[in-house]
Amino acid sequence: MKNMKKIWAMLLALTMILSLAACGSKKETPAAEEKPAAEQPAETPAEEPAADSEVAAIQSKGTLVVGITDFAPMDYKDADGNWIGFDADMAKAFAESLGVAVEFVEIDWDNKVLELNSQAIDCVWNGMTLTDEVTSAMECSNAYCNNAQVVIVPADKADQYQTVEACADLAFAVEAGSAGEAEVDALGYNFTPVKAQSDALMEVAAGTSDAAVIDSLMAAAMVGEGTGYADLTYTVGLNSEEYGVGFRKGSDLAAALNDFFAAAYADGSMIECAEAYGVQAALIAQ
Amino acid sequence: MELILEQMPVVIHSLNIGFLQTLKLFFVTLIGAIPLGLIISFGSMSRFSPLRWLTRLVVWVVRGTPLMIQLLIIYYFPGLVLKNNWWGSGETGRFIASSVAFIFNYACYFSEIYRGGIQGVPKGQQEAGMVLGMTKSQIFFKVTLLQMIKRIVPPMSNEIITLVKDTSLARIIALQEIIWAGQAFLKGSQGISGAIWPLFFTAVYYLIFNGILTVLLGRLEQKLDYFK
Repeated sequence: MKNMKKIWAMLLALTMILSLAACGSKKETPAAEEKPAAEQPAETPAEEPAADSEVAAIQSKGTLVVGITDFAPMDYKDADGNWIGFDADMAKAFAESLGVAVEFVEIDWDNKVLELNSQAIDCVWNGMTLTDEVTSAMECSNAYCNNAQVVIVPADKADQYQTVEACADLAFAVEAGSAGEAEVDALGYNFTPVKAQSDALMEVAAGTSDAAVIDSLMAAAMVGEGTGYADLTYTVGLNSEEYGVGFRKGSDLAAALNDFFAAAYADGSMIECAEAYGVQAALIAQ
Repeated sequence: MELILEQMPVVIHSLNIGFLQTLKLFFVTLIGAIPLGLIISFGSMSRFSPLRWLTRLVVWVVRGTPLMIQLLIIYYFPGLVLKNNWWGSGETGRFIASSVAFIFNYACYFSEIYRGGIQGVPKGQQEAGMVLGMTKSQIFFKVTLLQMIKRIVPPMSNEIITLVKDTSLARIIALQEIIWAGQAFLKGSQGISGAIWPLFFTAVYYLIFNGILTVLLGRLEQKLDYFK
């Protein structure tokens, strides 16, 4: 009987130790989140030649883990379930040039910085707009593709909203934290932030918002004839912006990718890849 | 309507894969949390007061914070702070991290239900056991635990049904369960983009599965009805 009690006590003690560790983590997390932010100003200007080269680390690990979302035509699955797209194909070629395998991991876009800093992924390569938030949180490559934020409205009302001024009275739906939200906010227009660009489209389709602001590359693929949103169309562009690839702050992989982009652009393989996915018009010379 | 019929096979296939992941998380959580909850409930009823208070503190923290935050902490904390992401990047690592979060979270809820069930068995039952010369462990397993099981079936059914739906929270760390699969078509996946209905259609899966569970748990309750 006494033994039994002892065993229970031991088991419980073990449980408690484990749970204490969990408690501890809760208290430390805010500090952890602040840390990268605090380090950035010090690291960015210094541009120290990363003591431990990440290129070497990736090569010894043997895999480049690429964080993506399902985002045609940049990253999407073919009929056999393999990842293809302009970004996916370039990522495969880049990994090959480093002599490593490539692994694509679908992430929650809101958590991309978390995924990167926690080493769950090695880069974010998914038609990512180079905003101030992105460039301050990640080591970014050179821009490789142009994009714009466009206004989405029901097709039957499109002719009324061909200029930025004409859209002033609309109730917009925009993705929280997106470049589109920043544009609408700067114009002082009335908007509701939603979780994703696709949710913004759903808002317009359901009539709960008058208009949405999303990426032009995505708009071209998702609205109009022959898509799920046949009754919607895009009108005016609000700004222009550029896509880049994000790595961990201070990583030398960004420089390695810039060299790779330059070489791939020079030998024409990058343009060839862009043509395969219909994004050649948006490609930026390297 | 025609468009929906055309999309149906692809969407159903993808939702099935997502729902399999949902079911996996559901069963793993139950298998882990049911015994762990019992251990925690012993801790919260211990006569050794530091252990009792420590257990209650842990239960308070786990029940008092959102499961979504717990998932984020469990998956990202090792890589962010300890600089060693022991979960790995792929689907398996995300599943294990989700399982750990769900098991621990649900064990804490279960422990309180167990505690209620155990403390609800009249003291006279244990005294009767002692009079009959049963040992303490015999009394616990053959008298208290057996009656406790009958008492806790209705509140446990409640938690189990909630668990089925809570598994969708794991999408925050990109576990590709059924809601994730449904939402993918909203944005565009496998050639279908801007399809709204798959997301809403996922509710049918939950509803049917919970219907089956309700019937099974109802039967279990009837079976245990011979104790009065």
